Amino acid sequence: MTTIEPTTVLEARHLSRHFTQRSTAGWFGAKRVNRAVDDVSLHLDTGRVTAVVGESGSGKSVLARMLARIVTPTSGDLVLNEEPIPIRSKRTLQYASEVQLVLQDPFASINPVHRIRHSLERPLLIHGATSRNVAELSEAALRRVSLEPASRFLDSYPHELSGGQLQRISIARALCVKPKVLLADEPISMLDVSVRLGVLNLLRGLCDDEQLAILYITHDIASARYLADETLVMYAGQVVEQSSGTTLIDEPAHPYTQLLIASVPDPTDPTRLASGNSDHRSLAPIADTGCHFSSRCPQVLDVCRTSEPPMFDVGDGHVARCWLHRDGTEAIDVSLSQRRQGGTITRK
Amino acid sequence: MSESLRTEPLPSLSPRPVDSVTSRVAAPVVETTDDLILEVKDFSVDYGWGEEAVRAVNHVNLNVHRSQVLGIAGESGSGKSTLVYAITRLLRAPGIITGGEATLHLGERGTAQGDDNVLDLLAATQRELRKIRWSQVSIVLQSALNALDPVQRISSEFEEILKTHRRDMSRAERRVRAVELLGMVGLEEDRLARFPHELSGGQRQRVMIAIALALDPQLVIMDEPTTALDVVTQREIINELHELRSTLGFAMIFITHDLSLLVELADEIVVMYAGTVVERAPASALYEAPRHPYTLGLLSSSPPLHGPRNELTGIPGSPPDLSRLPSGCSFHPRCPYAMERCATEEPPLRTLDDSGRSVACWLHDDDPSVALPEVLARATPLRVPTSQTKTFVPTRSAS
Repeated sequence: MTTIEPTTVLEARHLSRHFTQRSTAGWFGAKRVNRAVDDVSLHLDTGRVTAVVGESGSGKSVLARMLARIVTPTSGDLVLNEEPIPIRSKRTLQYASEVQLVLQDPFASINPVHRIRHSLERPLLIHGATSRNVAELSEAALRRVSLEPASRFLDSYPHELSGGQLQRISIARALCVKPKVLLADEPISMLDVSVRLGVLNLLRGLCDDEQLAILYITHDIASARYLADETLVMYAGQVVEQSSGTTLIDEPAHPYTQLLIASVPDPTDPTRLASGNSDHRSLAPIADTGCHFSSRCPQVLDVCRTSEPPMFDVGDGHVARCWLHRDGTEAIDVSLSQRRQGGTITRK
Repeated sequence: MSESLRTEPLPSLSPRPVDSVTSRVAAPVVETTDDLILEVKDFSVDYGWGEEAVRAVNHVNLNVHRSQVLGIAGESGSGKSTLVYAITRLLRAPGIITGGEATLHLGERGTAQGDDNVLDLLAATQRELRKIRWSQVSIVLQSALNALDPVQRISSEFEEILKTHRRDMSRAERRVRAVELLGMVGLEEDRLARFPHELSGGQRQRVMIAIALALDPQLVIMDEPTTALDVVTQREIINELHELRSTLGFAMIFITHDLSLLVELADEIVVMYAGTVVERAPASALYEAPRHPYTLGLLSSSPPLHGPRNELTGIPGSPPDLSRLPSGCSFHPRCPYAMERCATEEPPLRTLDDSGRSVACWLHDDDPSVALPEVLARATPLRVPTSQTKTFVPTRSAS
């Protein structure tokens, strides 16, 4: 789809965020570490959409917030335009102008007491627009997301617009500071079914025409298949499978991905409802030792319960964190997984 | 729970005599004509009064049969939730029922007491309503967190319902029943002592389903029960509902915006747009051969899991503002097949064949000058795949 060779704009290396919870046993009880995001590496390239798929609690939104530098990572590195970012420092204005975040709920992310004009002009003024060209720039921003006539939308209040229009406005607001990276955290899940495709096509268009690097976070694996050039599946804070194109969804290698795909409503497959396994697997807690998915996995092996699987190469850059693929394939980055099993977390 | 379902008083409506035999309209599924449980005729709901009034539900006709799953699909603002709130008399001001009939048939048809056991829901007193709520008709709402009392343990939700409606049950019996109900939805006994905030979203929604089934109701209304859940949990709950329905044999009205989910679960589907029913058909026929352009648009709005990645277009434009509805067919500004006539005249819901298919679209008016687009004229499959055939007769055997 792209003619220009993609270059990496934003890279996350071994990014982790752990939250410490005091146990219910009281003041002196052991503290529990909740690994919301555990050693995730990814790169966002120009003109490519990278999708992160996972259920609620898988850590996908924390990952997006770390990339936007709203949440400080516990460990790991961020590299923007080949320059390492000191993760403990405050987010700079320059970083904000390069990496923008679009949130799930358009009704909550746009100030309801101001006209749309205000919401669009504020980031422009903060990022160096002058009062002379700010009106022109905000009209141009609305045209980029196909909201016309722009003047009508600029003078509206958020409550006068539909969810789809508001989500386009929050995309316009993110784009008006000319970022290179757009992080979209579940941008369509709150929208009506009939307008979802419009927003997805808009993101695809921005990616192809303006060489934007897009991170698309979703729980809807079918929309990831539609939009993404690269797909990552997250479970319990870890990337469990990763592949480019539609390979991941057409030939899922990890049992969790297989479960996700089998759960999507699909009227072309009449066996889905009939063969329904009501064994309540989704109620099983995340396993603490071994593979996190072992408590729910239908193909669980003995080794899964005791040791954590590394990433195995299943072919053509398609990787899966599952012991089922240990034969004939090569583990990747084994040193990292051993380090984590030792229980130490490197702090930078 | 029953106390929290109190409603605003309704404007006075004269009770209409209901002749349960003559009022039977053309039932969509032939073999279940005698098994009507809920009958809604020419039903309209407004929000607000006078000139400010916004019509949220516009002359809707619905029939729900015993053990049937009726799916209502539509986007936000299509009136699907308003419709069921109004039918169950849970609608709050400024919502007003402005016309129509809603009748609940409580007993088995054909039996002597069954024919008399008919309740006009719109004329029913609060006392009558309290008697049927939860015992005959129950409802599961989208947000279980809002439906469950945050300061009560799960056990007290069950206690309250069973105490109110089953006076003869002892404390121990109530507990046994609550454990049994939780077991039906896959939850352990220890959940009874928990507070709602201690449960995950999927567990809370399961608790709501268990409560809704506590008194073996004949009709369960599900208002987007899985919309806030993730896809794996949604799949499990849908499969559970499917199983429970075939073992317990209750009828279900399932409301969602996800048409592909409905095609799997429902027997018959009603598609609503801007308060109006635009298409009604058996589930598989609706999926295989949609007749209304809006249904076709909805079906092609979700990206497929298989096949090549083609660009999909969805439906252009935005859902309509109910206070400024377009003239004629309210879908015409977004419709790719709109004709001149669509902008001026509102199409009636027209029955297409004897399977109960009906559609409100001028394309299907048998007007020879109108060329029906091929995609909207596909033949309905003659034979439903065997695995998709759903039984209307409750099978009592446990699966």
